[in-house]
Amino acid sequence: METDVKLDIDVKAERYGKALETPEIAGRGKGVLHDIFRDRAFHGVHQGTTWQLHRYGINCKLSGSVYAVTEILGAIPLVHGPIGCSFHQRLTPRRIYTPIQDMPCTGLDENAVIYGGEDELRKKIVDSYSRYKPELIAVLPTCVSGLTGDDIQGVIHEVEAKVPCDILYVPSEGFAHRDRRALDVFLKDFTKAWKDPAKVPAYEIRGYGHEEVMLALVDQIMDDQYDENADNLVNIETFGRFSYGFESELKEMASLLGKMGVGINTTLLSCTVDAIKKAPAARLNIVRRGIRWAEQMKKEFDTDYLRRWFFYTGIDGTEKFLLYVASTLDLDGEAEEVVRIEKKRALQELDKYCKTFKNHVFALFTIGFFFTPYSVKTYALDFKIPLKYVCVDTRWMRAQNVSDETTESMIRGMGELIDDWDLGVELVVNPNLHELKEIAKKVDHVLGERSATPIYEKEGISMIDTSIGAYLFNRIGFNGMLEFASYLTQEMKKQRNHREPIISKFDYDETYYPILADPMCLASREMWSTMWRLRSG
Amino acid sequence: MAKMDGGKFFGTFRACSGIKDAVVLTHVPVGCNWGAAMFKTTSNQSDIRQACTVMHEREIVFGGEEALREALVRADKLYNTPLLAVVAGDAPAIIGDDIEAVIDSVVLNKEVVWMDAAGFKGTMREGYEEALVHLARLMEERNVIKNSLNLIGFCPDDFKVDADIKEIKRLLNSAGIQVNCVISNCSFDEFVNAPAAELNVVMGQGTELAEHMKKAFGVPYLEVGYPYGLEGTKEFINTICEHLHVGVNEKKLDFDLEPFKRIYLYLHELYGTPVSVIGDFHAEPIAHFLDCELGFDIEVLASNEDDYFTFEQNVRNSNTTILFGSSFERNIADELRIPLIRFVYPVFDHVCVYEDAPYAGFRGAVCLTETILNAVMSFGKETG
Repeated sequence: METDVKLDIDVKAERYGKALETPEIAGRGKGVLHDIFRDRAFHGVHQGTTWQLHRYGINCKLSGSVYAVTEILGAIPLVHGPIGCSFHQRLTPRRIYTPIQDMPCTGLDENAVIYGGEDELRKKIVDSYSRYKPELIAVLPTCVSGLTGDDIQGVIHEVEAKVPCDILYVPSEGFAHRDRRALDVFLKDFTKAWKDPAKVPAYEIRGYGHEEVMLALVDQIMDDQYDENADNLVNIETFGRFSYGFESELKEMASLLGKMGVGINTTLLSCTVDAIKKAPAARLNIVRRGIRWAEQMKKEFDTDYLRRWFFYTGIDGTEKFLLYVASTLDLDGEAEEVVRIEKKRALQELDKYCKTFKNHVFALFTIGFFFTPYSVKTYALDFKIPLKYVCVDTRWMRAQNVSDETTESMIRGMGELIDDWDLGVELVVNPNLHELKEIAKKVDHVLGERSATPIYEKEGISMIDTSIGAYLFNRIGFNGMLEFASYLTQEMKKQRNHREPIISKFDYDETYYPILADPMCLASREMWSTMWRLRSG
Repeated sequence: MAKMDGGKFFGTFRACSGIKDAVVLTHVPVGCNWGAAMFKTTSNQSDIRQACTVMHEREIVFGGEEALREALVRADKLYNTPLLAVVAGDAPAIIGDDIEAVIDSVVLNKEVVWMDAAGFKGTMREGYEEALVHLARLMEERNVIKNSLNLIGFCPDDFKVDADIKEIKRLLNSAGIQVNCVISNCSFDEFVNAPAAELNVVMGQGTELAEHMKKAFGVPYLEVGYPYGLEGTKEFINTICEHLHVGVNEKKLDFDLEPFKRIYLYLHELYGTPVSVIGDFHAEPIAHFLDCELGFDIEVLASNEDDYFTFEQNVRNSNTTILFGSSFERNIADELRIPLIRFVYPVFDHVCVYEDAPYAGFRGAVCLTETILNAVMSFGKETG
């Protein structure tokens, strides 16, 4: 079955903002790795600043909603609040590369705060339609309209006959954001699921806007007249057009699932408004973020869902995942054969690379996080990389306010899994630079993540940047692993000069790297950490 | 009307964060704090001097005063800074937090100034003006320094701010004038000592502060346009010299035409090019330079306080070939397949870290012209 999901992506892209315009034009279609590197450079250059800023704060729930709405081609967000809210949200963290253009705002002033902003909203909905001619207007309340208690749903009900487009209400008030313990609880639950995939937490990062948009779409826009479940269709939740390597991933998914007889109904939310309405035509939702919307679709339209989790990584994991999809759609026999052939092809190709890897000894330097044990497993079992050491740096978790208890349980869980899987790897937790240097001497190659590479390289530890694995290991398909193996083989051949990068010459704080060892920065981090702990949730 | 304006909160935040050794404590939910930080840190990633009271649902229901009290006490201990500027946003204004009372209830080692910066109460410009007047209560009477002035109207995250200030100072110094304080891009001490200046020079915004200082300290003020271009700069210096009764050394004000000579044929070719400009108070002076000195035809000249949708439509309906504005104009420039020259806040997709490449002053005229030519000449097939 051929699925032309790309159609959804290009429609109206000119008006509503394409992802990564310059890179696309510069070299579309040169391959998966090229796509990822280009996205990482052109999009990622902004992303680093955003990540760093999370040490000092979190973004508004409204920004998540704004981003999610702008993923939908033909939809515009209408901010019901003061002008500053829309000004600020034009620069939403996941798409700084392309600031949001078409985002009307009711511009609430003191009068509206006193007398209510419902009139402004009424007028603005009508005006927004006449100006932008969208297919969907998503009304996003802010703290101000949340506090004044405007009856937004009432206003929408009143005006919906006047505008020939859909109107969505998404609760997006900034003060109702996620709980302070969100990440900590999430990681704790995640750790349990490492050992027992059946214990996947039904937990999601609530209150950051994206999930609210998904839920609102299920409740208000999706149409059960499409609930025909006719053609073995699935919906795939994407991380969006602004994710690294999105286009090539989509292409591979469509091709592989197509061979299995599975059609992609749509990619949520990177699709048109019409495609969202027709989402219930799919029999299965492949979920990659929170599950609340999928549970809701199950309830309202009886659409099954399958969460694409870490234990579906690697060759066997991918196979398991694809077979699960096939089985849910009653395609066992036909699809099993396709998966078997694809797996065999992948294994044969991988074997060429494994022959190279097996003659070398490796160490992996990593931050302990969601996928670490399963990445280690992929290195050791799928790539057959002789991994001698896994060095885990937990500073990132500390910097994100993850509790010591959770960090310890993650490390413990990691160690137990490595033992259970009999990987023969020595787990080294928070080694200092001297210890890392000694470990590097004992192996042929050090695999590492780019974030700390400059510091290691300054100390004479030559590293192969394997951070692109994060965008390849979790793809739906086998090609991501082949691409990674090919990349690693090339990198192993490279002669590496001793580097003393400019960025390694700064004084960084040891605990909160890469925060500079600057009292103001550190005090600001400490203030955020304390106030966040004290106040939220 | 849809304005591309950050609202009062942003204006206040920007004014306060311009006191370089002050800490801005935002009394808001997390999102406002994030927004202010994100716009600021794109221009200086190592300068993080802000904290937030993290108003959550609980504070919305029970009030945010306790959160503010805790934040003040902690910030007072944590930061080694002379000033805490409390910037209160929409939520505390609506729920009625008594911020003054909270500040009075705690004993702190730092100066504390608070500002009602609810976004719904005004524009970015109004926030800036009001904040400076609030901060002015920190100023102290000083002996006047002959031939000195304060420059008022800057923000620490203006595009090219440091380079522009350096160039403006260079020009004023060469005319025998000393810059006492740049507001708001100065230290706490410099700000406190601002009344020592003989003259306040308001460059686009900050008039209310100048008025206040005139009344409180007797410092006269002068409003001038931002010094873009050769003639614009000359006029800027001449006007100031005239007010300070400093004789202008014409020789020193001679600009160097040599850089322009090297590319004069390109300038000939671009003569009469239709362009459009949008921005804050920087827009008119730069349009004047583009029109009167480079010979471009200004198709649309708009302010951030105009309706943005109308601005976009006007540009679409014009022959605009180069657009001058902020990073927000990237989309319309892409749509029309024309180059965008970023010159005004907010710029978050270009950096300006080299302090000798200004847009203001004589050197700025050269740099700006170079930027325009490079943008036009490198605007190749891939984007056109």
